[in-house]
Amino acid sequence: MSRGTEFVLRHLGELEELAEEVLTAKQQIVDLDKKRNQNREALRALQNKRKASSKESKEWVCFGNTFLKLPHCKTEEMLKEDQKQLDTEIEKLRDELKPKVKRLRDMEGLPDVKGFDLKSLTKEEALAIHR
Amino acid sequence: MHSAVQVPISTLRGVMATDTAQKVQEVRQVTRIERIGAHSHIRGLGLDDALEARQTSQGMVGQGSARRAAGIILEMIKEGKIAGRAVLIAGQPGTGKTAIAMGMAQALGQDTPFTAIAGSEIFSLEMSKTEALTQAFRRSIGIRIKEETEIIEGEVVEIQVDRPASGTGVKVGKLTLKTTEMETIYDLGTKMIESLTKEKVQAGDIITIDKATGKVTKLGRSFTRARDYDAMGPQTKFVQCPEGELQKRKEVVHTVTLHEIDVINSRTQGFLALFSGDTGEIKTEVREQINAKVAEWREEGKADIVPGVLFVDEVHMLDIECFSFLNRALESDMAPILIMATNRGITKIRGTNYESPHGIPLDLLDRLLIISTSEYSEKEMKQILKIRCEEEDVEMSDDALMLLTRVGIETSLRYAIQLITTANLVCRKRKGQEVEVEDIKRVYSLFLDESRSTQFLIEYQQEFMFSEKGAGESESMEVA
Repeated sequence: MSRGTEFVLRHLGELEELAEEVLTAKQQIVDLDKKRNQNREALRALQNKRKASSKESKEWVCFGNTFLKLPHCKTEEMLKEDQKQLDTEIEKLRDELKPKVKRLRDMEGLPDVKGFDLKSLTKEEALAIHR
Repeated sequence: MHSAVQVPISTLRGVMATDTAQKVQEVRQVTRIERIGAHSHIRGLGLDDALEARQTSQGMVGQGSARRAAGIILEMIKEGKIAGRAVLIAGQPGTGKTAIAMGMAQALGQDTPFTAIAGSEIFSLEMSKTEALTQAFRRSIGIRIKEETEIIEGEVVEIQVDRPASGTGVKVGKLTLKTTEMETIYDLGTKMIESLTKEKVQAGDIITIDKATGKVTKLGRSFTRARDYDAMGPQTKFVQCPEGELQKRKEVVHTVTLHEIDVINSRTQGFLALFSGDTGEIKTEVREQINAKVAEWREEGKADIVPGVLFVDEVHMLDIECFSFLNRALESDMAPILIMATNRGITKIRGTNYESPHGIPLDLLDRLLIISTSEYSEKEMKQILKIRCEEEDVEMSDDALMLLTRVGIETSLRYAIQLITTANLVCRKRKGQEVEVEDIKRVYSLFLDESRSTQFLIEYQQEFMFSEKGAGESESMEVA
């Protein structure tokens, strides 16, 4: 293989890899958000149930294929912990996504998206720009 | 003329806050079209990648060296190199000065602010000359900023509100939202229910909810519900069901001009002044505060400054005070690129008795990069007339075009361009398909050009009123 072909092949390979990474990250965000919404629904359901009856009870929790009966407060705690982790995970993925997209555009020879590397204005500051 | 203001104002109602800057840009865009209507065929400078001028491209014809020079300046503008410099385009009337400025504006693109004013525009009773100039300057400097919001975006599958049996009390409800990937249920509190009812949200609407403020915005109706009703208001907008996650991070980058920030922050005016155009004077303190804030944002990496272009046509109409103001203003660190155009030779500087080249004082002239345009050749003139014909949707035979070119050479390019529209009308009157030689001849006899009109005046001097020549015979004329 000549050097030219080799170069092109390697370049295209890298490009594909990078594109794949971007797509995976996007899909992962979607999956995590789905999970986050389900957890939120569960938390809300638990809260409503507690409001209805003040009695301390146990809840059915599903792990994969097995159902377990766990105390109410324990379940709630677990879900909250999970939720927190999901939030940070999504945040992390989003932050990583931006440089990846930038590199991808760079490799494809597209111009940089202007302004997306700026820090965002706070709500109060934005008031000075528009009402 | 296009109706400049009507478009944006009708879209003003119910605009999302983040959209404001975009709307403002629309306003500027429309005025841009309106002011230089005669140059609507110009799409850019017509240069290739090596900045060489193509003979005919993007509506530009000839003026190769001037366009090359403009292209180099454009490159420097894009790299942000010549902030605070000034360019003068000088040349006889009808040699494409405004066309070149227009081409530069087009080539700069959407993101760079471009303001076009005529020299005489700054003289107004409501505003001092320097205020008008300052406003024009600040209109030409853009600030690029980013806003970030966490939103929930989805299509409403179901909305259900339970009213308490007693009639009053706490309302509760449920809202089901979906995207193409997922669906979920939200429990609603009283406040949320209120804002949803206020926006008249119903199943099938695509909505966004700002996470921080809880503000609900209706984006439109889902395409899948397009056939739900037969009769629908003209405002109904159909949108695709959103993709991906429900809870999104939305980043909006927009460019606002310093002037827009000025207007919004000068208390007596308020936001609406932007659209009515009646901004009045803005206090220096307000401007200073804004400058400081913007500088701070730039330091913190929250804003980019985008130096734009201020184009002053007929610059010889400015007077000596304006020139000295310009001299000073160009030295400020937030000055745009100033492009001026004039068709004057050595003439008096307005407001003085001194003569100077182009009617511009020598100290300012010294700071300028001067581009000069020259007369069009016959071939180029023909090309321009052809482009104008296309622009105005006029079919013209080759002979007629040839004749029109001759007329253009003998009189002026502008006169020849005027004849295109009029000849077309004559042609349509006789139900012709394309403009023929006779049509041109007819309008040529109907409408005088400048030299024939002068000739006529010289011949019939005595018949007109207040004639200075032969004032003795003026008695008879009043009867006539």
